[in-house]
Order: sequence, then structure tokens, then C-alpha cells
Amino acid sequence: MSQKSTSREETIIEKAKSRFPEYIKETKIDNNRRVTISFDKDHVQEIAKWMRDDIGFDHLKGIAGVDYPTHKKLEVLYLAGSFSKPEIQDIIVTLKAELPKDAPTISSVVSIWESAHFHEREAFEMFGINFEGHPDLRKLLTLDNWDGPPPMLKDIKFPEMGQR
Amino acid sequence: MSQETLQDFIGAWIGKMSEIVQTVTGSGPIKYLINWSRMYALWPVHITTACCSAEFGAMMGPRLDPERFGMQAVAGGLRQCDLLIVEGTVTKKMAKRLKIVYEQMAKPRYVIAMGDCACSGGLFHDSYSIVNDVHKLFPVDVYVPGCPPRPEALLSAIVKLREKIRREEVFA
Amino acid sequence: MTANPPTPTIASNEAKEPSTMDVSVGPQHPGSGHVRLLMRVDGDYIVSIDPDIGYVHRGCEKIAEYRNYVSNIPHLERPCIIDAIHLNWAYVLPVEELQGVIVPPRGQYISTIAAEMNRIMSHLYWLAINAGVFSGHTTIFMWAFGDRDLFIELAEWLTGARLTYSFLPPGGPRRDFPSGFEQKLAKLLDYFEKRLVEYDRMFLSNPLVVARAKGIGVLKKKDAIKLGVTGPVLRGSGVEYDVRKVEPYGAYADLEFQIPTFKEGDSYSRYLVRFEEMKQSISIIRQALNKMPKGPIARKAPLVAPEGEAIGRVESSRGEITVMVIGDNSDKPYRVKIMNGSFRNLIALPYLIRNVHVADMPIIYGSLDYWPVEADR
Repeated sequence: MSQKSTSREETIIEKAKSRFPEYIKETKIDNNRRVTISFDKDHVQEIAKWMRDDIGFDHLKGIAGVDYPTHKKLEVLYLAGSFSKPEIQDIIVTLKAELPKDAPTISSVVSIWESAHFHEREAFEMFGINFEGHPDLRKLLTLDNWDGPPPMLKDIKFPEMGQR
Repeated sequence: MSQETLQDFIGAWIGKMSEIVQTVTGSGPIKYLINWSRMYALWPVHITTACCSAEFGAMMGPRLDPERFGMQAVAGGLRQCDLLIVEGTVTKKMAKRLKIVYEQMAKPRYVIAMGDCACSGGLFHDSYSIVNDVHKLFPVDVYVPGCPPRPEALLSAIVKLREKIRREEVFA
Repeated sequence: MTANPPTPTIASNEAKEPSTMDVSVGPQHPGSGHVRLLMRVDGDYIVSIDPDIGYVHRGCEKIAEYRNYVSNIPHLERPCIIDAIHLNWAYVLPVEELQGVIVPPRGQYISTIAAEMNRIMSHLYWLAINAGVFSGHTTIFMWAFGDRDLFIELAEWLTGARLTYSFLPPGGPRRDFPSGFEQKLAKLLDYFEKRLVEYDRMFLSNPLVVARAKGIGVLKKKDAIKLGVTGPVLRGSGVEYDVRKVEPYGAYADLEFQIPTFKEGDSYSRYLVRFEEMKQSISIIRQALNKMPKGPIARKAPLVAPEGEAIGRVESSRGEITVMVIGDNSDKPYRVKIMNGSFRNLIALPYLIRNVHVADMPIIYGSLDYWPVEADR
């Protein structure tokens, strides 16, 4: 049984590596059903289109940004899932892209996964990531709430947080 | 009589008449009547601030039935309401709108700060996007602590507010 | 004006036609909740809608990096206060995975029963406010809130709080059933099952409700998959997907239940999905009460989580909640990312409320069960 379930995740990774050998940087399987694929950020739209059409991951559950100030990079994580293919419905694939801290720009995937519309707006305002090609990139949650730099970055410390 | 003396005389006469009206209506049975009508028709404004609104909804439910005190959630206009209940955390975005709503209410108007977050910041006191001191936006009449306060606590706050209205001066 | 104006995109920066007017259905409104919908209307038709959210944005994800794993539970369960157990469980599942803690079976059953009670409470709140008050049906508000208070009393007996339980720290639930709890719960379920029949007569079969909700706000199956919606919105459009069956957690692998799915995709089928889910919840709780194992309810979890990433998900009453926790070998998480049902369903608002009458807006908005505090976090 465990042999069969690891082979599903490994099949996805092998297909990705054989299709985009030079864009995929590293892959990982965490427990069962969680696959992580790190890729080159310039080819996000090709990889997303292939994931949707050939493998069947048809929607995004969310887009998370993570800030690593010691390595001077921002990571964008796309969590993709599948509704239409029952055999991979319980797998979540995390696509990771690294962005340099001083030029965080990546192409938008809204034309491929329309579910990314509001997730990209939130990542833009919380981390300062510029999604090129998004039809309506403006502040969503912090519109009248916070006027400073993107609040989720680790350099923005709120000294009173966690005190008392 | 010259112009100035006539004006002074009329001004003094009007001042004396309004003093008499204030003394008559500001005490005794007329004051009781005006305050009674104000405290038995407290209509809350339809604005929900944050998660304490779930307990506000529970208070308006059939268990506690504030309608026997005249408190109905009427879907009318803002100008006819006289009670603003700040339920829960006030973010900076919502604080602007609360101030506009408070200024649009007709006097006399009362404010209840419900929940720990409205009283002093509560659980989220150190967040970047919230306003800790609601009393700097507008004067608050009753504070109700709790996270969220029980519906019975909110009802007892309304009873306290009614006591306050019963005793207050008509022309404040 | 024409009967069917052309369909615009859901972006809001298109040019404004001279015959249209912008109306702000703001936070001060008897039918909007804590959100502002900027409607562009052309006579009696809504051309497009632009949701303006963030009125309850309290920065939960930033605060989560400053508090340790157990202290994070109270503020992370406040976003959806009426369904707090599911947010709590969705946060605790990846933390337990990182720490390598396995909850014993009796603890899983207690969590499952508490979660299903919470699902019933949340659906009753939806019925009272979103489907009732927003459309003008205030009798169902009184009925549903009366019955919901009975469940809240039982939850208070079990956990000590009415709405904000903080019931599941990492390692398992913090209290066992008090003596006499199971009998009272079984009695309440018998009473509630009869009440659901009365609700059906008063609300679901009410010709006014049927006329207002049938055929309104149709979301077709391929659009639902493309937009990535979740929860009853997804199941009301014909996609049979529920995290309790796809990736069972808690005690759901041992219990038998169905996933109600309707294929019409209109507001009325979303109402039906939630009604049927309440009935399924009653059956799940009864089975779980019969099959309760004995033994310990929780294991002690360490205070520190090792390095790594973990993703956990549960099916709450508004949809799937997915939480990603990144640990860094300390007692505070490095990053907590919450993807919940209301934020994912937000895209259905500007998509569905186009070229509809103004009076259909509260019905569509209510049938999506959008809870703004959860979407804003």
C-alpha cells in the first residue's frame, strides 16, 4: 500500500524532471501526499500550464510568501490541488520559486489558474512581490490599515509585539 | 426706546423664557417622560465591527429578547438610531467608518464598547493595524469586558445604560 | 438600457459607462457584514461588483510569529469564531506532524464529535443570518438562534467557553467528556432532528424562498473547478470533494457518512447542501458516540518544533482550511500561512454578481456564506 502511494508522487516528479530538466532545481516528498518542486522563476507560466493540462492540478489553494533575510531571498510557494482527477485528489504539490530580495518580480499565473487572483494581490501587499501581468494588482487587506512597507517581511519588526 | 435697548430687552426676555422652559422640562415629570421615552427605544446601528458580533446576534435572539426593552434591529436609516455598539477589534480601516457613522447619528447618541478589544486592545493589542483606544474616537458610555462577553453581560450593560439615561440631564 | 449588458472582467479598473452609478454597500448596512461591496449599477441591474475587504484585518499571520505554538491557538481561532474548532484543528495538525505527536484514538473521537457539533452550530448561524436576515426572513433567525443556543450550552459544559474553545492544543483535546454528557447530547440530537423537519417546512419549502433562490447565481461545474472555490459552494455545483473523505483526519476514516452534492449550482442547491450536511453531522455524532474507544485522550507534545514544513487541512463548514507551518527549531513558528474557505470563495462574489438584479445580491451573497472576519484574518 505504501509502495503504491509513494509511486504516485514519484511519478509526478519524474514526469516534471523529464519535461523540464533544466528548470527544476530540487524536489522533495514530505510524508505521503506532499510534493515540493523548486523551479526557476522565469518559467513559472510554462510549468503551471503543464501542471494544469497534463497532470491535472486545476486550482490553487493559496500562494504563500516566505522571507529569508539571512539568505537575502524571498520564496513564493504555490499550493496546487486537483478537483477533477480522483486519483490525485489528496496530493498537494508545492511549487517553490526563489526571488532575489531587491528585485522580487515574477510572472503572474492568473491566466492559467484563475483562482490565483486574490492570492496574488495579498502576496503583493504583504511581501512586496510584483506579479507581472496581473489584471488588477492593488492593495487588498492593508488599504487603509497600514501605510508602511510590506508588513510580513522579517525586517519589519514591531518591537512591542510579543511583549507583555 | 432706542434700537439697542429694544434688542437687549428682547434678548433678555428670550433668555428668561428658555430658562423657564429648561427648568420646567428639565426636572420633574417632563424630564422623567423624556428620559423614559429615550431609554425604552434604543435602536442599535447596523454595523458589525469584528467577531463579538456573534454574541451580539445571540443577545438579539429569542433567549434574551431585548425587544422587551424596546431595542429592535430596525433596518431603517442611520439617523433614527441612537446606540452604537462597537463589537470587537477596531481596525484603522473600520475606525474611519465608525467615526463617520457616529457623526451621522442624531443626538442623543450612546456608545457601548463591547469586548476586550474595544475596551483596550484585547488579544490583538500589539498588531499593526488596529486602534487600541476607542475612547479617542468618540466618548464611550459603557464598557463591557469579555472575549467575547456573554450575551447576558451585554444585556446587563444595556440595563446599566438605561439607568444612566434615566438619571441624565435632558439638556446636556 | 439593454436587458443584458455585456459581461465585464472581474478587475475593477475598466472605464465607467456614463449610464452607470457606483453604490457603496458598506460596512454600515443591514445586509453586508464587515465588508464593503462597491456595486456598479445600471438601473436595476448590477453591472459589476468590487469587494473591498480588510475591515477586520488584524495581522494574525504576523502575530503568529511572535507567540509560541500553544499561545497561538486563541488568536488563530478567532477569525471564524462561530466555527472555532476547525481553525484550531487545522493549525494543530501540521504542528503535530512536525513534532511527531500522534493523538490517541479517544482524543480523535472527542475532537471529531466537537467538530461536528461546531459544524451544526455554524450552519445554524448561516441559516439565521445569511439565509434569513439578509433576505428578510426573520422568523428563521429566531428559530435557528434558539436551537443554536442549546448546542452552545453543551459546548460550554464540555470545554468551558461558549464560542472560543481553544480545545485542541498540540497532542489532543484538553478535557474528556463530563459524566452525563453523552446522554444529554443524544437527547439534543433527537430533538434537533425533529426540528429540521420543521425548518424544511418553514424555510426550504417556502415558496418565497424558492422563488428568490432557485436559478439565481448559477455557478457551473467547470467554473467552480476553475475558480478554486471550496466547501458547500463547490458541492452545490456538482463536484464531490470533501477533505473528510479525500484525506481523512480524526475519526472520519472509521465513520460512514455521505457527501451531499447537487448539480444545479444555484443558490437553492447551496442551501440544500448545508441542510443535508446538518443531517449527516447528526448521524456522524451518533456513530461516534456508539463507537467511542476508551483510553487516554492526549499525549504530551514538546514545546519546540524541529525545522521543516508541514501542511495540514480540514473541512470546516465554509470549506477547506489549509494551514502551512514552517518550524525553525524554536518554540515560535517561523511562518504560518492560513488558506481558508472564505478567502478562496471570495472570487465567486464578483464572478456571480454580474448582470443580476439588485435584489438578487443579498441572496447570492448569503448563499456563499462568506464570513469576512475569516477572509481578513
